[in-house]
Amino acid sequence: MIEAQSLSRRYGDFTAVDGISFSVKEGEILGMLGPNGAGKTTTIRMITGFLPPTGGTVTVAGKDLFESPREARRQVGYLPENISLYPEMRVSEYLAYRARLEGLSRAEARQAIPSAIERCLLGDVRLQIIGTLSKGYRQRVGLATAILHNPRVLVLDEPTVGLDPKQIISIRELIRQLGREHTLLLSTHILPEVELLCDRVVIIDRGRIIAEGTPESLRESWTGNPGVRLALKGAAEGAAEALAALPGVVTVKPGAGDGAWLLECEPGSDPREAVFRTAVERGWVLLELARERGATLEDIFVRLTTHDAAAAQAAEPAASGEEVVS
Amino acid sequence: MNGVLATFRRELRAYFFSPLAYVVLFFFLVVTGFIFVYLVGQLNNPGSPGGPPLGFFFRATWLLLLLIVPVLTMRLISEELRSGSIEVLMTAPITEGQVIGGKFLAALVFYGFLWFPTFIYALNIHLYEKVDWGPVGAGYLGILLIGSFFLAIGIFASSMTRSQLLAAMITVALVFLMFLLSLWGELTNSDLLKKALEHVNIWNHIDEFASGIVDTRRLVFYLSGTLFFLFLASRALEDKKWR
Repeated sequence: MIEAQSLSRRYGDFTAVDGISFSVKEGEILGMLGPNGAGKTTTIRMITGFLPPTGGTVTVAGKDLFESPREARRQVGYLPENISLYPEMRVSEYLAYRARLEGLSRAEARQAIPSAIERCLLGDVRLQIIGTLSKGYRQRVGLATAILHNPRVLVLDEPTVGLDPKQIISIRELIRQLGREHTLLLSTHILPEVELLCDRVVIIDRGRIIAEGTPESLRESWTGNPGVRLALKGAAEGAAEALAALPGVVTVKPGAGDGAWLLECEPGSDPREAVFRTAVERGWVLLELARERGATLEDIFVRLTTHDAAAAQAAEPAASGEEVVS
Repeated sequence: MNGVLATFRRELRAYFFSPLAYVVLFFFLVVTGFIFVYLVGQLNNPGSPGGPPLGFFFRATWLLLLLIVPVLTMRLISEELRSGSIEVLMTAPITEGQVIGGKFLAALVFYGFLWFPTFIYALNIHLYEKVDWGPVGAGYLGILLIGSFFLAIGIFASSMTRSQLLAAMITVALVFLMFLLSLWGELTNSDLLKKALEHVNIWNHIDEFASGIVDTRRLVFYLSGTLFFLFLASRALEDKKWR
């Protein structure tokens, strides 16, 4: 649905985005993750057609953004990072203006506006002046304008930034609902958001993609072996040996508390069933059995985006100072 | 066309919802009213050479454009650039030219709205004396043409900067330059220069219009000047993307 090919953007001598390629499939929610200043917003602005790239191409729903910008833009609903609306207009007036701008007919607008108001829970503030709305409501008005023309693709740049926890929850819920009907590209630096919402993640740092995959696959490839945590009632005889003998188990360590054990397993293996059968065979009472979540996405993110300088230094200790200074 | 219309309607609303517009309207009507009363007083003097009062009125009031136009146009693009609303505007299926066109039309309509009440002065004269409507119409045409040229200059200035103040100052500078060229045309001794400057001498042009002469050269000058600056404005807006 979105196809970005070796997208680059330079501002003078500074390269903000350096040859990024990725694609978003129909119906997918893609999360774009990266620290501040990594080039997320620049990338998104190129995808929405606000900034022309200095290299590479973008197609949205099969339309090239620069050969047929109007058709391509019609397929995109965009919520920028700091949504700026016209403060003197009422919410419903603003939506009516946007509907006209998007080229909706009167009849289409009569349907689209109330439906956007309803979906974004704006009914209460429909007649309020935008300048008097709180940030959370303004964000929702932004979302309402983004979905007004029923685009196939929604691009949301840090949709929950600056909101209070309650508003964040309601916006996330809204995004989840929108994700059912639209292809979604979501940029954020809030990690739980990605785990909650996204089917796939690209991690961007310094204008390049440094990792890509589903949240689970990223977690698996960047953390150690998966683990299983279990607790047995009472002192089960010979538990350590029996557990260690199970297929896929690498090491067995006592966990916190009586009868608790931690198993480290081979990648891709899941010994929980074997643990259960062994417990039944030996007459142990199994109180707890769960997969241990390895590193969180947060750990991976921090590792990926901060190791660079240190790693570069470690890899090239003899390198001349100028490279390391930055 | 949708884009032009949507921008036009929004921008026109914005004029009528902003206090600035009413301040300008008030100031404009007070000053034109004062000029009108003063003119009629002078013309009623037994020693005065006499003449059509509205002719003198247009000759005197066009100078107000130097003050009014920057105020009307400074906000138009600069505000969008400063607040960032340009981002949601330019990601809609609309071109820079349509944005500029819509905003220009809104400014022009509001400008017309400013002048509309001055028609009362003509009606006022009509009560006491026969009015020759031809020159009055031509005078309004001249005011409209000069106004649209200046508004286009103002929009161009506004599209270059995110600072409204700077936009207003650039507008004043450019419009004042036109005024100075007129003055230069009057004062120069060189015949050639005089002839050349004749074509940009707004002072003379408004004299012609106010006495009922509609010269096609003037029409071409103001219309092409308007289009030229609108074109520059849309290029300036497009250029913002590349920085």
